[in-house]
Parts: sequence; C-alpha cells; structure tokens
Amino acid sequence: MSKRKLELDALLELGTRDALRQAMRQAAPPMLTQIEQITERAAEMSPTMVELRLGVVHSYTSELLDPWLVLAGALEGLDVRIYHAPYGLNLEEADTRSDLVAHAPDITLMLLRREDLHPDLARPVAALSPEEQSVLSSQALERLFAVIGAFRANKVGNLVVTILPGLNGPALGVYDPQAERSEAAWWSALKADIGRRLRVGVEASLFLDLDEVLAQIGREAFFDPRLWYSAQFPFAAPAAHEFSRRVVALGAAMKFPKAKVIALDADNTLWGGIIGEDGFDGIALGHEYPGNAYMAFQRRLLDFQQRGFILALCSKNNPADVEQVLNDHPHQILKPGHFAAIRVNWEAKTDNLVALAEELNLGLDSFIFVDDSDYECALVRRQLPEVEVIQISARPVEVPSCLDRVSRLELLSLTAEDLKKTEMYAQERTRQQLRQSAERNGGLEGYLASLEMVMTVGIDDPAPLKRLSQLTQKTNQFNLTTRRYDELHMRRLIDASNWMVGYFSLKDVFGESGIVGLALFDHSAPTVAELDTFLMSCRVIGRKAESAFFNVLLKRLAAAGVREVLADYLPTPKNGLVTNFLPDHGFAVDANGRFFRDLIATPPLPDEAYPMAIEVAGEAAGSELGQLA
Amino acid sequence: MDLFEKLQNVIASTLKVTPDKITRETLDKDLVAWDSLAHVNLMMGLEQTFDLFLEVEDFTQLTSVPAILEYLREQGKA
Repeated sequence: MSKRKLELDALLELGTRDALRQAMRQAAPPMLTQIEQITERAAEMSPTMVELRLGVVHSYTSELLDPWLVLAGALEGLDVRIYHAPYGLNLEEADTRSDLVAHAPDITLMLLRREDLHPDLARPVAALSPEEQSVLSSQALERLFAVIGAFRANKVGNLVVTILPGLNGPALGVYDPQAERSEAAWWSALKADIGRRLRVGVEASLFLDLDEVLAQIGREAFFDPRLWYSAQFPFAAPAAHEFSRRVVALGAAMKFPKAKVIALDADNTLWGGIIGEDGFDGIALGHEYPGNAYMAFQRRLLDFQQRGFILALCSKNNPADVEQVLNDHPHQILKPGHFAAIRVNWEAKTDNLVALAEELNLGLDSFIFVDDSDYECALVRRQLPEVEVIQISARPVEVPSCLDRVSRLELLSLTAEDLKKTEMYAQERTRQQLRQSAERNGGLEGYLASLEMVMTVGIDDPAPLKRLSQLTQKTNQFNLTTRRYDELHMRRLIDASNWMVGYFSLKDVFGESGIVGLALFDHSAPTVAELDTFLMSCRVIGRKAESAFFNVLLKRLAAAGVREVLADYLPTPKNGLVTNFLPDHGFAVDANGRFFRDLIATPPLPDEAYPMAIEVAGEAAGSELGQLA
Repeated sequence: MDLFEKLQNVIASTLKVTPDKITRETLDKDLVAWDSLAHVNLMMGLEQTFDLFLEVEDFTQLTSVPAILEYLREQGKA
C-alpha cells in the first residue's frame, strides 16, 4: 500500500501512544536519525512502560535490528531489553547456565537462514526429484526441531521461530508454480509442517512467517543486498521496521490485558456517510467506490471474529435506522447475529462502552474501540484510558486495513472456544431472555432445570493445555488468586503427581460452553490440600456451575484422604465478584488469616445437590488421585 | 546548520554518542561506539540525511569525519 511521508513534527505533537502508533502505521518507515526522537517521545507517554525481555539467537547479523525493536516497543509501551547470543546457531546457549537463560527472556527470537535447516538448502531444491525433496523435508524438520527442542527445554520464554526468505526468487523463475519440483511449493509444505509440529509438540512457541513480511513490502524493499553482502544483515529499513513491529506485537499480546471485544461505530465506519442524514439509499455501501471499501472492512471484521474477538456495535443513532441497514441493506455483511452486544442510542459513547462491558461481563481493558470521530475518540481516550482507541481514517481506502497492525489483535494461540465465541455470547443473550421469563413464572430453580445442563469435569488432562493456560491469562473477574501460568508451567502442574488440575465445560439446551472453569490444588502434604487457583469465565455465571465444580473436586480430594483445604482470596481491582466465594463455600478464616475448610466437619455434597448432570472424564493414567477417587 | 554540524548530528544519533565527542578530525578508531555494525547504521543515516546512494566500496572508505566531509563536498552537498 502506498504510504504517506512521515511528518516528524506532527508526529511528536501527538498525545497518546495509540494515536502515535496509528500515525506510524500509515506512514513510511522513519529515518534512522528520527528513530531516537520518536522512541523518546513514545517512552515518556503514560502509562509507564512495561519491560519486554528479548533474547535473540541468530545465524545472521541481528544487532542492527535494535533501534527498530526498541522503537516498536516504545510505541506499544514496552521497554525492550535485548540480549543477542553469540553469532551462529549456537546450542551452547540452550543451557541452564547460558547468558541467554540468565537474561530471562519473555521471548526468544530465533533468526535462522534456510541453509541452517539443511546444508543442501544452499543449493537448488528444484534439482531434487520429488522423492529426494521429501527426504530433504524430513531431514530439515528433524534438524530444526532438534534445535527448537534444545532451546525449549530451557527457560527462554516464548520461542519465536523465523526463517529468512531467499534473496532471490525460486530456481525455476516464473515457471516454478507449475513445475513438479516447484521450490515455492516445497517451502510452503515445509512451513505448514513446521507450524503443525510447533502447534502440537512445542509449548509456548510460534512460527513468525517472514514470507508474510516479504509479501507485504516486496522483495526489493525487504532486502538491501549491500547490507547483506557486506554485513550479513538482510533487512532494509521497511523490513526492519515491519519485522520488529511484528515481534513486538507478540510481546504486547503477552504482556498487556487480552483484547476480547472490537466495539464498532456505525456511520463512516461500517458504511460511508450518516444513516440519519443520508438515509438507507444514501449511505456508501456496495460494489462501487467508496462503498466497496466499507464492504471490504466488514469482510475483514469477519476475519477478526475467526481469531476469537467478539464484535459489538456502539452507535449514536435512531435504533430503527441502524436496524434497517443491519437487516435489509443488500450489501450489509454484518447482521445482528454477528454482534455479541448492540448499543444504538443517543447516550455518550463512554456510557455505552461501560454498559457493553457490563452486559458482556468483560473488563473495559479488553475493548478496542473503533470510531471515525475526533470527538468520540478523544473523549474515550480521556475518560476510559484502558480502552484502546482506533480512529478510522477519513480516507475510505485506508479503512479496510485499519485493524491489521493492532498488536493486541494478534494471537499467540487459537482454541476451539475462540472460534465459537460470538455464537456462545449470542446463546447467552437467549439464555438471559429465557431466564427473565422463567423468573417471572416460577423462579431461578425452574429456569436452571429447564436448561438441562450437563457438566463435564476433566482432571489432570493435558489435551486442552492451551485453553487452560489461556484461562489463567485472560480471567480477571471470577478469579480468586489471578495467578498466570504459561503453557510450560501448566504442563508441569498437570504432570505433577502432587497437583490436581481440574477443569470443566458446560452443555445446555442452547449449546456448549467449551472449557470455562479451572482449579489448581497442591496436595503435597498428606492430609492438607491448598487451593492455588480457582477461576471461571463470566460467561457461565449465575448457574451454580462454580459450586458444582468445586464440590466435585473437593469430593475427590476427600476420597484421597485430604481432610483440610487451605485457600486464599487475593483481591485485585477486578475480582471483587469473588470476595465471598470462599465463605459461601464453607470456608472460615484461620489464625493466620487464611481460609480453610475442614472436609470432615463440612463434607462435600452429593452431585444431586446441583441443578445439572455431572460427568468426570479425561483422567490421565498416572494421576494417583484420579485412580483413588 | 553547516555541513559539519549536520554530519555531527547524524553520527551522534546513529552511534548514540553526544555530538561534542565528534570533531572535524574524528576517525572511526577514536570512538568505541564506531564499530563495524554501527558503521553500517551510520552509512544508512548518511544516505537518508544527505539523499545519497552509497556503494559497498564507499562504506569501506568513509571511516572518518574528514573522509566523509570530503565525500559530501564531492557530491555537491556542501
């Protein structure tokens, strides 16, 4: 996309990091001499920067990326501290006593060249027969995963693997895509294998595809052959800029509250023009410019829904006008069912955002607010600083890509639950309606029974590892201790014989919740268990699921000989919801100020005490508690 | 700003040193920060600031303030 020249003075005038980031996204990369000024300006803005520790393992020059990485970090509010391992793919760094491990990186970035995967990759892949190519793939994978495994075995944070694209196109030139020995096809298949193996076999790992950076900025803008041949540094400024942005985006996704909701304005955002003034037939939405840009943006929003973000509508309009477009406009792509919640009225947008957060049971810091108006954007930035604001460009051509470089919309993992999220929120809306009518005729108990709930509890089951770790990262409200666990750590707890890791999912007449609750018990002591973590997604609140789940786990502990359970409530600004959870579940405060429950005096209840069927599944062999209970 | 001052600023910002460390006589070996990697950044900084295109061969010649000043004058940047 054609970029505008960077206006340094105007840039330095901007007041917030999100405004600065957005201006940078739309401009050409800064000059090296400008980087420092922009970095300093971004660094001094509030909130105070959070440290992001980066380790770099590299088989080509990486140090020249530093100013770009530090700039990208400052724009996100991340103070990037970089350690470069000695040059070369050095397995000595994959050691508990290495300088890399001592740096305690949040992310270890592996910068590999193609030939690091296999010496034969320095020669044309097209020279090999299909059989030889397939042998080469398996050997290259084996070699790569031996290196990855060696690093993964150490505390090096999230592993981000990259492979530098070729400086030149494929050996067979323009004919390559048609050739049986196509190099591009061979690389695509290899990348898919790498992605698959990282997904299933290597925790906390990610393949950052540099071919995507190459596709975005073009081969000629990506490589500077002068720097490559004279200093083994491949990246020209646009590549260094974009690559660093992507690396830091992963850091932002790790370090900051998870984004969950994209709250969208309607006029000049989902369509061009103002429905209240231009009318149903006057708004720009269709196959001609500028309506096609808004259609493209709506289509792009469906992509973000696939990443697990939910959409909400927040518009100042007459509700009937907006409803008419959503339901009847022939080119409107997003229908009412695509939105998890809708606020169309004349109230202040800030009030509507707060109301949306309440309705969805999510914190405001999980909101990304998208609006074209200077006034609304400034108001939200000032009144609700925890909301990230994306101001839609007044140039329609820039609208479809306006969310493409928002770091918190990048994923570190994707679970089955993410894909169904909007559907689940829509089901929740229906449930609420049923609940209100049931409460009018016969009360909560009747309503809960009418849901025909089935709870499935899993114990020490590593299969949903990603989701379990994600729950500790994302759950802020219904969470007793707010302890965060990455996948590696979670895996260790699941495997440990002295820990019990329990989770549950809930099914009812409307659908499946996916995994929504997690509890971690440390039962190292013979008769005492400690509750380390108890959390639940707010999606299933108000259905007695938390009590039923807790009871099932306490029953298993009691059956295994545990007589007393210790627990803590660690208050945060967000978890006031669970202040009374422990007292409500038979816990008293002991002499040390900790909560305890005597399982002999206050034994767990039979399953029938709860308004749902309860099944226990997914027990891993080797879990002593699983076998005993 | 004269040519030297402009150059002084480019060197200072790409090498991350204060401008007063750079005189009209400074050689690369006078500054610890002016190592081979920083030199690459300096070359890119020169290109951008003075709107030049440098060849790899120029990289190896432009290793001192006097050499760079002379090159800039030859290129009509004075």
